[in-house]
Amino acid sequence: MNVLMPQLGETVSEGTIAVWHIKVGDTVTKDDPLLDVETDKAAIEVPAPEAGVISAINVAEGDTVDVGVVLVVIDVEGEKSTAADTETANPAAAPAQVPTPVAALISSPASTLATGAVAKSGAMLSPAVRKLVSRHNLDVSAIAGTGKKGRVTRQDVLAIINGGTARTDAAPAQTAVTGRSTPVPVPTPIGSDARSLIPFDRIRKLTADHMVMSKATSPHVLQAVEVDYTGVDAVRKSHGPGWKADKGYSLTYLPFIAKAIVLGLREFPKINSSIVGEALQLHPLINLGIAVDLNFEGLVVPVVRDCANKSVGQIAEGIKALSIKARSKSLSPDDFAGGTYTISNSGPFGTLMTAPVINQPQVAIMSTDGIRKRPVVIESESGDSIAIRPVGILAQSFDHRAFDGAYSAAFMNRVRNILEQQDWASEL
Amino acid sequence: MAQLSYREAVAAAIAQEMRRDPNVLFLGEDVAVAGGVFKATVGLLEEFGPLRVRDTPISEQAILGAAMGAAMTGLKPIAEIMFSDFFAVCWDTVVNEIAKARYMSNGQHECPLVIRSANGGGARFGAQHSQSIENWAMAVPGIKVVAPSNAADVKGLLAASIQDPDPVLFFEQKSMYGTKCAVPEGDYVIPLGQANISREGSDVTVVALAAMVPKALKAAKILQEKHGVSCEVIDPRCLVPLDTKSILESVSKTGRLVTVEENPRLCGWGAEIASIVGEECFWNLDSPITRITTPHIPLASVDVLEDLMIPSVDRIVSVVSEMD
Amino acid sequence: MGTKVTKSKAKTGSAGKYPLNETKQLELYQKMAECRALQQRAHDLFMQNLVKGTTHLGLGQEAIAAGFGAAMREDDYTFNTYRGHNHNYVRGVSMTAILGELMGRDIGQLRGKGGSMHITDTTKGAMGSYAIIGAHMPIAAGAAWSAQYRGTEQAAVCFFGDGTTNIGTFHEALNFAAVWKLPVVYVCENNQYMEYTAIGDVTAVPNPAADRAASYGLPSILVDGNDAEVMYETAMAALEKARSGGGPTLIEAVTYRHYGHSRADPGKYRPDEEVAEWKNNRDPVPNYRNKLLAAGMDESKLAAIDANTEEMVDKATEEAKSSGPPPDEIAFTDVWADGGAAWRN
Repeated sequence: MNVLMPQLGETVSEGTIAVWHIKVGDTVTKDDPLLDVETDKAAIEVPAPEAGVISAINVAEGDTVDVGVVLVVIDVEGEKSTAADTETANPAAAPAQVPTPVAALISSPASTLATGAVAKSGAMLSPAVRKLVSRHNLDVSAIAGTGKKGRVTRQDVLAIINGGTARTDAAPAQTAVTGRSTPVPVPTPIGSDARSLIPFDRIRKLTADHMVMSKATSPHVLQAVEVDYTGVDAVRKSHGPGWKADKGYSLTYLPFIAKAIVLGLREFPKINSSIVGEALQLHPLINLGIAVDLNFEGLVVPVVRDCANKSVGQIAEGIKALSIKARSKSLSPDDFAGGTYTISNSGPFGTLMTAPVINQPQVAIMSTDGIRKRPVVIESESGDSIAIRPVGILAQSFDHRAFDGAYSAAFMNRVRNILEQQDWASEL
Repeated sequence: MAQLSYREAVAAAIAQEMRRDPNVLFLGEDVAVAGGVFKATVGLLEEFGPLRVRDTPISEQAILGAAMGAAMTGLKPIAEIMFSDFFAVCWDTVVNEIAKARYMSNGQHECPLVIRSANGGGARFGAQHSQSIENWAMAVPGIKVVAPSNAADVKGLLAASIQDPDPVLFFEQKSMYGTKCAVPEGDYVIPLGQANISREGSDVTVVALAAMVPKALKAAKILQEKHGVSCEVIDPRCLVPLDTKSILESVSKTGRLVTVEENPRLCGWGAEIASIVGEECFWNLDSPITRITTPHIPLASVDVLEDLMIPSVDRIVSVVSEMD
Repeated sequence: MGTKVTKSKAKTGSAGKYPLNETKQLELYQKMAECRALQQRAHDLFMQNLVKGTTHLGLGQEAIAAGFGAAMREDDYTFNTYRGHNHNYVRGVSMTAILGELMGRDIGQLRGKGGSMHITDTTKGAMGSYAIIGAHMPIAAGAAWSAQYRGTEQAAVCFFGDGTTNIGTFHEALNFAAVWKLPVVYVCENNQYMEYTAIGDVTAVPNPAADRAASYGLPSILVDGNDAEVMYETAMAALEKARSGGGPTLIEAVTYRHYGHSRADPGKYRPDEEVAEWKNNRDPVPNYRNKLLAAGMDESKLAAIDANTEEMVDKATEEAKSSGPPPDEIAFTDVWADGGAAWRN
């Protein structure tokens, strides 16, 4: 029996062998882990589909192969031959002879075959799209395809990269591509030796490239508001212990902030969007990306989907589920797909304020920072007084191409008001 | 500008060059007294006389050999091969002699001649009088290959071919002899090797030649109006020298290439262009390169079958609108 | 079996219209002797593997080239086949250039781009050697047409073999030249074998060229191609007719090749006694030498030519050998008039 490179999400066409758990000659039982596969989005474990003896391992650790490639062969007792598997793995090898109408004879005879082969691979990405996605480290699954059968076309990708007149002019793409290849002078390190040199791992490289691309693509503007979390705090105090007893984890500020952002986004839809060509593509769903730190070994942004009508509790559960999967490295590629707005949470470390970098192709990102008690001036009809309140800063970076500061500021103000004034007990 | 037919443009260009250069002579079957079986050379005998405009026997090898011998010794002959299908009976003279004379002699021989010929289908003449053989010519090093798509290009490109110091095969599209367009008066020359961007567009590059150009333009209009697809139609005009720059630039812009060829499928000129684009423009391709050709069959005579085989406006619209 | 053409059938001897003085006779002998030495050296170099590819030698056929060479004007055009070293040489083409080309050296006439079958020197009126049977017959007509149009009184002479008389261009060209009254002389060198097959075995008429002349309204001319003086006189008459507007001439000159068709072909398809007869009794070079001696020519003059010829061919061989192969870059020159090979921008 052949074990093939699995389809790791809807739009992933290849994977890298991270580690083999078995060697040739090993006996495995069904569901024993065979190997770990990494994609640009996640690592997953491939289990044995049947019990048997490993007769061949075809791909080495570190190699990248297409979906559908035979990775390992298991001799399963009672199985006649692996020939049948080989044939199904290469459906293009033997096209069926079927009677052909005249119209088909006139046109290119190979078209049926080619379409079949492409469809089978699962990734209808043209050379142009592959090149652009690779160079710019884009998440293809997040790009809305406008081509036949939803295919992501080169124009779709160019639109996101350039935000320019991609449909009629390819020149910006050329500039972007060649611009990246300009060598940058590297300062000579002082007193360096091999032991102090930490090579970038895959996730570091991807993050680095994405950050550079994002900063190059979007003119970032930072705006921050100071939020009084008294109302939120009250609900956390009253419902927190019961929550923890029930769910097994603490009720943090984050799901409240997320809910407030969702409510704000519903009123300010341009912030939940992407730039396509010379247009702003509003996203019908609110999919919140939550930046999750992997114990200082990297950053991933899994997505809580369709938050528009989720309660604080539902959002909290979504965030918790993703962070558990992230830290156990069991996120699937689909867990990363489709984010429309991102929250980066440095708050637990007590930061004052963070200027986050936009997670492309989104147009804004929120940082939630440390919340601590501070003296606050309370204005009332009977005069000003000073009170001690839990206060923290929310800081949003936005893409100034998409909208202006006033729109962003109005949104920030709205989020603050929601956080300070909402009846949170009823929202839980 | 005067409205001239494609056939009138042929005579206009020859006359223009014969007036300019007394070393330009013209020979072929039925070309002088009769003015050509397609009436494309009417009036030349009357203006230039029987020493410069001469009828020949039905001897294609003699016609081309004589043209070559004259070209090697200081003259600039224009020879007519009545139907391009007849190149098959004198292909030795073209391929082994005319094309190679300069190279084999290490540059001693000059061969400045033009061979005009009526090419292509659409006239219900059957398989021996309807072929599009520009791709045969393209396969031979040492000859230039021109195939104009309208009367203005006929005049400008034929004049350039006559002036050119190298041998040129000039393919006139027989179904287009009656088509008219505005043709510049006076001396008019279009340099060889410059493609014409017949229509600008952004979604698909359609490379078409000769009779396929007006069809591609009609298809482009329909594709824009009914399917919202913007076609850039490029007419290379010459297969050798080939303006690959214009084609590569266009495909880099659109990400898609369709060739529309009247020649049968195997080794048609579009295959060479597809190969060049595949090699040099691969990473800008957003869709498989697609060739629209006559199928790999001899052409039938009857109109319904001939029209079915030669690429049509409908076929172009259908193929392009279904592209990824 | 070869066609047995005898002296009695072919025209021989001088008609006296174009008398040969001693200078002209010595010129004829010298041309033949030099052609003989050049061809023999080409054969030797081939056997030493210094000549690559192929060679088609005209050993035994020197009288035809020599006769025409002595009769032609400097600005006349010669068109010949791959068996054309003699025809080029008699126009004044350099021996070193020919041997260099055969050996593929940079000093070669075409710097190795043509080879043995394509010797050409347009500056001498040697308009090329054509390796497709019959292809050059219409081309020669074209050069004659050009001369006719330009009014230069030049003539074109086109040499071809007996096998050519059965290919289409032979008939197309002769009809064309006759109809247009072109100043061209067609010379069939009937060496009696095409490649390995006797011409008589595959041709409907006994004299493959002469018997067809009437088809084009031309007189039938059959001459002894191994008699240099006959060839000279025949050439003079044909060229005069051409220059005076009388139109083309078709000449069949009967001869024999001493070696096989090409390369190291031993020619075993020919009867031994036939080869012996032509080599021993009808060899044009010694026969002409003997004829001149018999007519009272001072032998020292002929001996001086012999000695000088030997020196020339040795010198040419050494010059050719001293040259290296051509540089790689010339592979990409002279496809087009601009000197280059570019087919795209």
